[in-house]
Amino acid sequence: MSELIDFEGRLSGIAAELDWPATPDLRAAVRRRIVARPAWYASRWAMAAVAVIVIAAALLAYPPTRTAIADWVNLHTSIKRTTSLSTPSPLPPGPLGRRLGLGRETTLSAARSAVSWRLLLPGSLGTPDEVYVQNLPDGPAQGEVTLVYGARPGIPVSGETGVSVLVTEARGTVDQNFFGKTVGPGTTIEPVTVNGHQGWWISGQPHVFFFEDSSGNARLETLRLATNTLIIDDGGTIVRIEGDLTRQQALDLAASLA
Amino acid sequence: MEGRPEEDAELFARAQRGDIDAYEEIVKRYQQLAFRTAYVITRSAAEAEDAAQDAFVKAYRALASFRTGAEPRPWLLRIIANEARNRVRSAGRRQRLELRLVEGFRQGDAAPSPEAAAVSADERRRLIGLVNELEENDRLIIASRYFLELSGEETAAALGIPEGTVKSRLSRALSRLRERFERV
Repeated sequence: MSELIDFEGRLSGIAAELDWPATPDLRAAVRRRIVARPAWYASRWAMAAVAVIVIAAALLAYPPTRTAIADWVNLHTSIKRTTSLSTPSPLPPGPLGRRLGLGRETTLSAARSAVSWRLLLPGSLGTPDEVYVQNLPDGPAQGEVTLVYGARPGIPVSGETGVSVLVTEARGTVDQNFFGKTVGPGTTIEPVTVNGHQGWWISGQPHVFFFEDSSGNARLETLRLATNTLIIDDGGTIVRIEGDLTRQQALDLAASLA
Repeated sequence: MEGRPEEDAELFARAQRGDIDAYEEIVKRYQQLAFRTAYVITRSAAEAEDAAQDAFVKAYRALASFRTGAEPRPWLLRIIANEARNRVRSAGRRQRLELRLVEGFRQGDAAPSPEAAAVSADERRRLIGLVNELEENDRLIIASRYFLELSGEETAAALGIPEGTVKSRLSRALSRLRERFERV
């Protein structure tokens, strides 16, 4: 053991004599790039507010999807509750998730191959009806997968979207302190535990939330579907369950993740 | 851990309020650590400079996720190392590490430490050569701990591994290095 410590001493001894390349002065370049963004960019509260306003302005200017999209981003104070898929007349054509801007539609097995983490599926919902993979430059570092579930027994379906539950997964961690500051008034956050993992049940009127992705970048996410959301930090995978769910339904779904 | 944690805390608090001068001071304080860490990972000074610069820009935008009172080094190192690793992945090729020892004593340099003085020049050159040739994980953990002089927590942050894994991985890497060192 003492020989090993001596060997470590030798390694430490040469640290001071390493011929490192000269450290460049990064200050000017970093400052230039930071100030290239407006000052308000650094304020997450303002950023969140601006994001909602921009989304609202853009979407509300587009009459055919005004109502549907407003529901997705929770610009309304209430969500339509129906116990079954409503008549298809309000539904635009095409796959359910495509209208929600979830990325590229794919298969479950292709999605599993496309991401570096093990996808978690809520077994109690059966096989997802659609699967989407998204890897945006400004999105989570390792991409995002969304599972789309149409009508499911006992879960209200949004008459506007035809979706009952969205399960979105990305690699990252949730900063609870920050989390609490950004969801805004009119929203309650309740810490929960699911299968030993920390989670948060968000009810009320959440519009956006932030999490820190696997590269340490703060990511702004818009909740797309319903007023209530359960977010689970499953050992480095953030799982977001959105739907017009009761707290118990959401917890049961999360407990069936495997 | 470097000293002046209270000053760091104040700087980070100011930067979180949008004070760019405070953030510039943070960059000044940590740019050597950032650049050298990125250099060990990317093995290229040019890539390391780009990675460190990008990392500081990203860190600024993620400042709100920095917890008040936390140690800044692990938080920064995680962002810096991720950026450097992403560059290595997208480059799709690996350069040979260029870590070298300073040749001879240069005027104006500080006198060598007692530990350094105890190790002969030949031995030092041989050791650094062996470290450069180590398998990637071994090389990174030894360089992090002994050349970048990172703590266990900082090494874990830089390598993206649990802190509990650092000790065991380091122990195995040291054994392999020592075995090669004693082989000749």
